[in-house]
Amino acid sequence: MSVLQQTPVAVPAPAPRKRYRRQDRSGYLFLLPWFAGMLFTIIPFFASLYLAFTDYNLLNPPEWIGLANFREMLADERLMRSLRVTVIYTVVSVPLSLAAALGVAMVLQQGIRGLPVYRAIFYLPSLLGSSVAVVILWRYLFGVDGVINKGLAWFGITGPAWTTDPSHALTTLIILHVWTFGSPMVIFLAGLRQIPAAYYEAAAVDGAGPWRRFRSVTLPLLSPIIFFNLVQSLIASLQTFTQGFVMSGGTGGPADSTLFYNLYLYLRGFTQFDMGYASAMAWVLFVLIALLTAVNFLAARWWVFYDD
Amino acid sequence: MMDRRAALRAAALTAAGLGALSACGRGFGGGGDDTPDGAVVLTMVWWGDNTRARKTQAALDVFQRKNPGITVRTEYQDSAPYKDKLATRFAAGDPPDLMAMRMDSLREYADRGALLELAGLDLSGLGESARTLAAVGDRTYGVPSGLNSIGFVVNRTLTDRFGVRIPDGDTWGWDDLGTFARAVTEAGDGTVYGTGFDLFTLANLFVFTRQRGEDFFTERGTLGITAGTVQAWFEMAQRMRDERALPPAGFMDEAGSSAAQSYIASGKLASQIIPTNNFLSYNEAAGGNLALLRMPGETQGVRRGQSIDTPALWSIAARSKHPREALALLDFLINDPEASQATGTTRGVPPNQRVAAAIRPGLAKDDQVATDYLIGLQGETLPRSFTYPPGGSSIAASLETIATEVEFKRQTPADGAAAFIAEATKALRT
Repeated sequence: MSVLQQTPVAVPAPAPRKRYRRQDRSGYLFLLPWFAGMLFTIIPFFASLYLAFTDYNLLNPPEWIGLANFREMLADERLMRSLRVTVIYTVVSVPLSLAAALGVAMVLQQGIRGLPVYRAIFYLPSLLGSSVAVVILWRYLFGVDGVINKGLAWFGITGPAWTTDPSHALTTLIILHVWTFGSPMVIFLAGLRQIPAAYYEAAAVDGAGPWRRFRSVTLPLLSPIIFFNLVQSLIASLQTFTQGFVMSGGTGGPADSTLFYNLYLYLRGFTQFDMGYASAMAWVLFVLIALLTAVNFLAARWWVFYDD
Repeated sequence: MMDRRAALRAAALTAAGLGALSACGRGFGGGGDDTPDGAVVLTMVWWGDNTRARKTQAALDVFQRKNPGITVRTEYQDSAPYKDKLATRFAAGDPPDLMAMRMDSLREYADRGALLELAGLDLSGLGESARTLAAVGDRTYGVPSGLNSIGFVVNRTLTDRFGVRIPDGDTWGWDDLGTFARAVTEAGDGTVYGTGFDLFTLANLFVFTRQRGEDFFTERGTLGITAGTVQAWFEMAQRMRDERALPPAGFMDEAGSSAAQSYIASGKLASQIIPTNNFLSYNEAAGGNLALLRMPGETQGVRRGQSIDTPALWSIAARSKHPREALALLDFLINDPEASQATGTTRGVPPNQRVAAAIRPGLAKDDQVATDYLIGLQGETLPRSFTYPPGGSSIAASLETIATEVEFKRQTPADGAAAFIAEATKALRT
C-alpha cells in the first residue's frame, strides 16, 4: 500500500510555505514510525557495509580482507548464473506484467458494472503473489500430475515437469509474476481516471480511431504512471527471493534454474557461513539497482510527458 | 511456518542492503537467562516432528525429576531451515547449550572453535564405530544421538497385488533392483513406479561408491570418489529410467520430505530408500506392510557399501554458560536407559550398546524391525564413515545441480561426472 502513497502524480504543486505549516506537522507525525523503524535499519545498514570488506563466518569475529570479496565475485560462476536468472526473470516478466496491468485497467475503465468487485478480484493475486502459501499452491497446480497438466492432457498434450525441469522452472515463476499484476493495475486505473474525457472527445471529433486515441492520448498522458510502475516493478523484480526459495525448497534448483541473486546471497550467508561475501553481494545489488534507477530517470526525460 | 517466515524476513532485509546484522538475535528466544532462585536453565535445540518432540519431552521430564534445579527449555523445528537458524543463533552470540548437529556441519563449527570438546563425557558404552563417527583427529565434538543406516523399503501390499516377487534383500544386486522395479511398473500400468531414489542424496551415493572400493571422502578429508564411479552411478539411473524402472525426470523432487508426503505412502512408488530410524513412521504412513531390505549390491561389490551412521549428533556450544549441566544432560541422554526408554528409537538405535540391549524388549514392533536390522549390520565388518570435510555442503549442492542436469539429459553422464569432480575438488581446496 505504501506504493500508492508514493505516487508522484497526485502531489499538488508546491504552495506558499506558511499556509501549510499545520499540514507539515501532521506530515512529520505520520513519518514518525518510519524514523523509528529507520533506527533499527541504519545500524545494520552500515554494519553490512563494513562486513562486505571482511571474511566473516558468523562464528569468529570478522577479519578485514579489503576488496577480496569483490574480486571473488568476478570469478564466481554461480553468481553469474544467479545474475542471469534474475535478469531474464526481470526482462521478461516486468514488461509482460505491466502490459497485462494496463490492458486490464483499460477494460475495467470502460465502465463495467460492478467495477469494484472486478478490481478487487484482479488485485487479490498481487497481495498474495509472493506469499509462501501461494507459491506452494502454484507448485501443486504445476506439478507433474497437477491441474495444469491434467488440463493439457484433455487436449492430448503431455505437459512437462513445470517446476522440476530446469528448462521450465523459471517460466513457471514468470507466469506467477505476470499473474500478480494487480498492484500496477490499480495505479493505472487511478491514472486513467485523471485523463480528461475532453481529450478523447476532441480526438474522436478529429476522426481518430481507438488505436490512435490510445497512442496519442492515453499513452503520453499516462506516461508518468507507466514510468512509476516500471521503476517500482524493476526494483521489486531484481530483489525477488520468496518465489525461488519456496518453489525450489530453498536450493535455487532444479539445476540452479531458479537461483535468484538474493537466494544465492542467502545461501552464501546462512548456509555456507560466508556472511562477509553475502554482505558484499548485497551492496553490489544495491549499487546496481541505484544505477539502473538513475538511468531510468535520465531516460525518462525522453519519453515521460508531464501535462502540467 | 512462522519460523521460516522469520528467516525469510531477515534475509529480505539483508538483501535490500539493509544489513546482515539485522538477522542476528531473531528467531530463537534468549538462552541462559536463569530463574531468580538460582536454578539453571539449559536451552536445547533439535529438528524433527511432533512425535519426536513428545518422546524427547518425556525423556527431559525424567531428567528434570532426577536433577532438581535444572530446567531444560527445548525448541524444535523442521529439518530444512535448521542449519540456517542455528548459524544465525551462533552469530548472535546466543548459541544453545545442547544442540542437534548435522554430520556435514560438524567440522564447520568445530574447526572454528564453536563447540565444546566432549573430553569429560563417558563414551565407554559406545562401540568403536559409534565413538569415532564424529571424531575430528583425536578429539570429539559430537556424539551420535542414535545409530541408523539406510535401507530399502518395499510395499508388500503392492507387490502382492501385482504378483511380483521381492528379491532376497540380503543378497540382491542393482540389476535385481532394476528387474524388480520394471516388473512393478509394467504391472502397475503407469499408476505405480517400481522404485525411486535421489541421485544427489549423498548417503545413497556413499553406498555405491564404497561398493566400488572407493570412499567418497577419505580419512584425510580429500575427495576419494573418481569420475568413473560418478559416471557409472548416472548411467545406471539413466538405464533404469529408460526402462521405466525409475519414474520420469523431476518426479522425485515433487515429494515432500516427511514420511506422510512420501511416494511410498501415497502408493506411487513400490519401493524407496529411507533412513532406518524412520521405518516406524514410514510404515505407519504406508499402511503397515513395508518390508525392510538391505541396499542392493552388498554381496556383488568389491566390498561392503553400507555403514553405521547417525541421523544427528549432539554437540555442546563452547560458549555455553552451563557446560557442566549440559554435559550432565548429554550423559543422561546417551547413557541412561530411562532416557532411551522414553525416546524409543526416534533418533535411531541408542549408541550405547548396553542401553540398546536394555530397551529392546519394550520397543514397538516396527522399531524392533529397524533395530534388528541395525544390530545385524553392527555385527558385520563394514567400512568406516568419515566426517565430512569443511566445504562438504557446497559439494552436496553441486552434486544436486549436476545430477539434475544429467537426469534431464542436458548433460551426458560422462560430462556431468567430470564437471562434478572438478567442482568438488575446487570446493575442498578453498
